[in-house]
Amino acid sequence: MTASRAAPKAAAATAARAADWTSPLTAETARITHLLRRATFGASPDELEAAFQLGYGKMVDKLVETAPAAPPAVPGMKGGGGVDVDTLQQWWIDHMLATPTPFAERMTLFWHGHFTSDSTKVGTDRPYLYWQNLTWRKMALTDLGSMLMQVTTDPAMMVYLDLSTSTGKSPNENYSRELMELFTLGAGNFTEDDVRAGAKALAGWRLPTTADKSMTGVFEKRRAYSGGPLTFLGRTGQIDTKGVIDAILASPALATQVVTKVVHHFVSPSPEARYIQRLADEFRASKYDMKTLMRSVFLSPEFIQDPSYRSLIKSPVEYMVSVLKALKAPQLSKTVVDAGQNMGQMLFDPPDVGGWPNNDGWISSNTLMARVNFVSTVLGRMRSLPTVKDLGQLQLDGVLGSGTTTALNQAKDDRTRWMVVLMSPEFTLK
Amino acid sequence: MSKDKAGINELNRRDFLQAGLRFGTAASALAAGYAAVPDAFARAVYAAKQAGVNNDNVLVMIQLAGGNDGLRTVVPLQDPKLHDLRPILAAASVPAALPLNGAFGLNQNMPGIKALYDQGKVAIVQGVGYPNPSFSHFESIRVWETGDPTRRQVEGWLGKTLTQNYDSMGHPLTACACGTTDIPGALRDMHATVSVIDDSRTFGFQGGSKVESAAGTVWKGTPGIYGALFDTAISTVQQSIASVRTAVSRQGNVKYQDNAKLVYPSKTELGAALQLAASLITSGSGVKLLHVTLGGFDTHQTELQRHNDLMGYLDQSVSAFYQDLSMHNMADKVLVATWSEFSRRPQENASGGTDHGAASAMLLMGNPVKGGFYGQAPNLGNLDGTGNLRYTVDFRSVYQEILNTHLGADAKEILGQTFDRVPFLKAAAGVAAAAVT
Repeated sequence: MTASRAAPKAAAATAARAADWTSPLTAETARITHLLRRATFGASPDELEAAFQLGYGKMVDKLVETAPAAPPAVPGMKGGGGVDVDTLQQWWIDHMLATPTPFAERMTLFWHGHFTSDSTKVGTDRPYLYWQNLTWRKMALTDLGSMLMQVTTDPAMMVYLDLSTSTGKSPNENYSRELMELFTLGAGNFTEDDVRAGAKALAGWRLPTTADKSMTGVFEKRRAYSGGPLTFLGRTGQIDTKGVIDAILASPALATQVVTKVVHHFVSPSPEARYIQRLADEFRASKYDMKTLMRSVFLSPEFIQDPSYRSLIKSPVEYMVSVLKALKAPQLSKTVVDAGQNMGQMLFDPPDVGGWPNNDGWISSNTLMARVNFVSTVLGRMRSLPTVKDLGQLQLDGVLGSGTTTALNQAKDDRTRWMVVLMSPEFTLK
Repeated sequence: MSKDKAGINELNRRDFLQAGLRFGTAASALAAGYAAVPDAFARAVYAAKQAGVNNDNVLVMIQLAGGNDGLRTVVPLQDPKLHDLRPILAAASVPAALPLNGAFGLNQNMPGIKALYDQGKVAIVQGVGYPNPSFSHFESIRVWETGDPTRRQVEGWLGKTLTQNYDSMGHPLTACACGTTDIPGALRDMHATVSVIDDSRTFGFQGGSKVESAAGTVWKGTPGIYGALFDTAISTVQQSIASVRTAVSRQGNVKYQDNAKLVYPSKTELGAALQLAASLITSGSGVKLLHVTLGGFDTHQTELQRHNDLMGYLDQSVSAFYQDLSMHNMADKVLVATWSEFSRRPQENASGGTDHGAASAMLLMGNPVKGGFYGQAPNLGNLDGTGNLRYTVDFRSVYQEILNTHLGADAKEILGQTFDRVPFLKAAAGVAAAAVT
């Protein structure tokens, strides 16, 4: 039946290769570098030096406590307020490269992939996706209760998941379902009856008109459900949108779901259940405060233990922005926009409402090729490159596999060294 | 959104090559990292592991992503309950449908597939679903991809087929996902190699052979938990590049008839994906399993126009694909099957659309098909407790027939048990259909 599947070649390769990266994380400087790699888009030598001066704990405080820097207005808004997706993508990438608060951009990107909407359905005639980006950034480090109300009444979200056309008489189940399944509780922690009841309870919101002078949805009682008490997540009564959110906040599943997602995104692909539970209990007790959670994540021993080193794969946007940061080439932000599709991530256009994959989901033969080609493209557009004494140390912690070591040793000039380092698996990992 | 940026890398290739990579002359270690691709990959013969699996049939799965409305694909023409449940949608669909018989018609934008039906090349299986249907996209997609309604399996049904029947690692183009950057769940298996080809024109390393060599060196044998993933990815890249180069270089050797016009639709990416699929098939790359996707079927609102458009894209793409294969005398070997995670609710909502439903219609198309209707017509008078259609054909019955009769594989091994037979294929010559008890 299953004949040997080229096993001998693979086995020999395994024997020859070291089992794990040699983690440098016992040193505080390496921990800080690791923190900045995980929480920002990488740091320049000056930024690293300043961070080393602060020390790990104060660096975490600085990342978590500093208010998100707002981006400048989007250039080239059409009359009536619409903006092309390409323009919007480049605008955000420009901000990721220029902002003094890159952690806020990482959190915005995280929520962008969690509370998803896409440009194909939302459209570009109205600036809804632009507004959504501003809202997600402002709310990124607040608490889930206030976030869920903003998400529910966000015009782009209302269009994407059909809340804007859902009425009490003919409720649309899309938002109710995805709110519970994907955004908060997870499958198995609610029933189909809850989806139907939730749809009724949430109905009644409409998109703002220019007369409303508002960037959020408008509630109209005449569009809402008026059919008496509902039973939702075990609660019976007159339930409205706030009631739906309160019921969700009371569910023990909420903290576990969100914490699991955060940990998979920032810490490890295979966290222990105890770790998740510890963080979830604290998160719940803090009334779902994101600053509390993120501080605890970065200060947790699990974050800086050796198995955590290089256990995550940079998403395409992170990878490409990190490349441009390393090369000090913010003027090439358009290359990031152009390369996104082949790498599997286009901002404002997730593959579906579940958002993007994590880690191994990013690497297939095609996307690996796309990463290497991206570096070729960028280097091809740079007449001169920053000179660095020891690229392997600065960018890769001096922890190199044998292949990268070989290629780096064989490189005869800076351009080739940059190519090897930036297209290496070491740089794609974090 | 820059979906046609084939030119971006070419614009700067000259710049890059002028400031090209320089490696030391003693670069033998680099050369070792770049595996020389043996001629075997260029041959049209694939390595079959199992005796009896020696046909060269090809399967193309077209995923209609989002939940395709079966009642608007295969339209009941004489059912008053349809009008009761979805008055607006039915009033628009029924008179415009293309009648196949007295009871059912195809969506009005499917004249090409209708013409194939008239030639006996389309099998319509109705009422396809599974017990205790899930209305969640993710869960139901996973059910269809793994062939497991209990959602315990992780591997895709075609991934398992690959692992058990073909040497996909040695022949990475055995299974290809075209027009996408992700490996489809149906093709996923820990031990299966799948090629993902977004666009054959830009498929490869920009920057030439030095970049190819360096990439091969740095990505092989890395430490850490992703080492095996990276090894497989870079090997697959190298082998796929070689094979696609061969496939593309062999195109253009067929003379079309003078008045033949082969036009793939440009408004939908499905056209480009199927054109790529056709070139892989007709150039003898050895591909056997292909997967393409057409998205946008989650029509909770304004379904009428959107669904009609999608039906048109499907029809035009499949028609061009079939014509392409016929011109190359390959149409006898290729089976095309649509699949979707669920259908839509019979009752329409206030947004001009429909919510997630259950049982659906599958279209099986091509010369290997025994045309006609299979399964039971949907019974709009006997909906289940959630207001949805009840299934009458387990989707695994359809998979079983594809696996046993078309691919010559052992469906029971792959699906775990046997299912009622749905005999929508002519028995292929030279392949013994596996006995189904």
